[in-house]
Amino acid sequence: MDAILSINGISKAYGSIQALKNVSLEIPKGSVFGILGPNGSGKTTLMSIVLDILKADSGSYSWFNEPNHPAERKRIGTLLETPNFYHYLSAVDNLNITHAISGRGSAAAIDEVLEIVKLTERKKSKFSAYSLGMKQRLAIGAALLGNPEILLLDEPTNGLDPVGIAEIRELIIRLAQKGITIIIASHLLDEIEKICSHVAILKRGKLLTTGTVDEVLSNEDIIELSAANLSELKKCIQEMGGYSSIKELEKSLQVFYPIGTANMEALNQHCFNRGVTLNLLLHKKKSLETKFFELTND
Amino acid sequence: MISLLKIEWLKIKKYPAFWWMLGIVMLTYPGINLMFFSVYKEITQGKEMANNLAKMLLGNPFAFPETFHTVAYFSSFFVLLPAILVIMLITNEYQYRTFRQNIIDGWSRYQFIGSKLIDVAIISFIATLAYIAVAIGFGIYSDALSINRWAEQLEYIPLFFLQTFAQLTIAFLLGYLVKKAFIALGVFLFYYLIVENILAGYLKYKQFSWGRFLPFEMSDGILVAPAFAGKFGDKSKESYELAISLVYQQVIGTIFLTALIWFICFKIHQKRNLG
Repeated sequence: MDAILSINGISKAYGSIQALKNVSLEIPKGSVFGILGPNGSGKTTLMSIVLDILKADSGSYSWFNEPNHPAERKRIGTLLETPNFYHYLSAVDNLNITHAISGRGSAAAIDEVLEIVKLTERKKSKFSAYSLGMKQRLAIGAALLGNPEILLLDEPTNGLDPVGIAEIRELIIRLAQKGITIIIASHLLDEIEKICSHVAILKRGKLLTTGTVDEVLSNEDIIELSAANLSELKKCIQEMGGYSSIKELEKSLQVFYPIGTANMEALNQHCFNRGVTLNLLLHKKKSLETKFFELTND
Repeated sequence: MISLLKIEWLKIKKYPAFWWMLGIVMLTYPGINLMFFSVYKEITQGKEMANNLAKMLLGNPFAFPETFHTVAYFSSFFVLLPAILVIMLITNEYQYRTFRQNIIDGWSRYQFIGSKLIDVAIISFIATLAYIAVAIGFGIYSDALSINRWAEQLEYIPLFFLQTFAQLTIAFLLGYLVKKAFIALGVFLFYYLIVENILAGYLKYKQFSWGRFLPFEMSDGILVAPAFAGKFGDKSKESYELAISLVYQQVIGTIFLTALIWFICFKIHQKRNLG
């Protein structure tokens, strides 16, 4: 798959604090790419660098496999950190400026995005009179203006109520289905897991892992199983071997196998032959949250 | 260029401070000149010998063509008003963080500073238009018969524009570097009204001629006091003639300093983290 953004060995320090350490990654065209990391991990710094807001100390990046040029940013709808608009102007006037600078959209497109983000009724109100959620929705509207090829969204659900969060999630899924590349940084791991095809996890400026969600989550097979007698079941599994670890839960066991080696059918047959009847047999997927904590906890 | 101008106009046209500034300039330019004009009328209108002497000495500084010089000189006292607007326009970009958003939306860093240069040029242009209107108004009002000499001192129009643009450029530099509106305004007022005046006076007293190259003194030297200022004895005549003879140096120095400030701003912005 073609990379829409290639990042090569980017480092950035703020004085003695190393915000990014030699980060390299590729964002495939058409992907929904989640950038995850705890506060201060360097997500926003990385996004700021590829938007030419910050200068990297070393390394390079390239959008669309082309030499860097400001005009490339006109093809990217961006919400970075906070909604940045002229406080004394209305939503329409602010979007007119976005349109004039980026060349994206038209008067009709402005009305269209204001409808999508549910600001039509307040489109003539000054930005300073908006609530936090309305400001965020206007910023999302500005990013959507004129159907950009890429959406780059930093914490897009900040300040939104649960309904707003669900709406944005649906919107992102709809846009991804249209083939728009979406790069999204968020703390809401559940949200990311629901919508992303790819992820990168950063911690203290270091890239811990990157790849498709399935690749990142599945470095082992997890089988959860249960029987009336858990200690018999455990013995049975130990006899069969091939696992890397067993975790005893209250009413079940979780057995961890190296990726691709768990054979549920054989496991079931083996237990049955040993006189242990299973009442639960599940191939479990590790949640992104679990994986995230595994990687980012010291 | 045209696109930058259009975008800046979108930002400015609904900014209340812009219209307030315009309104105040429209009042203060005629106001200050009216004040001096009424003083002039007062001392020249009577039939006493002193009145006639004053009339002979002063001529009519508000008639054509001298009106362009006189009005430029008095109006230039009020550069403070557009300077406040210039500082607000750049510090707003920091306050609203739109200086980042404009780049994110697709401007280059050069275009951002270019747009601010256009702001300063627009404001200088508007101030110059106001000055021209006031100068013509006083020329016609004070001596309608002098109108046939309207084209004689038109060089004061570009000189007024240059002085305004140069001094607003300094205001911009402060706003650009300091980022906070009130601090930048405070520094501007303190330097413009106090520091440089004291420094210039001190250097003059010490007979250091380079005092005229201080940032505001440099462009102040473009618009010397009206011609009547040189008619109060030999010393005043000598100092007036000297000031007139130095105008071209002041013009060159002002152009150089102004170009240098913009060059520095362009260079800084190219390398700066916009955090």
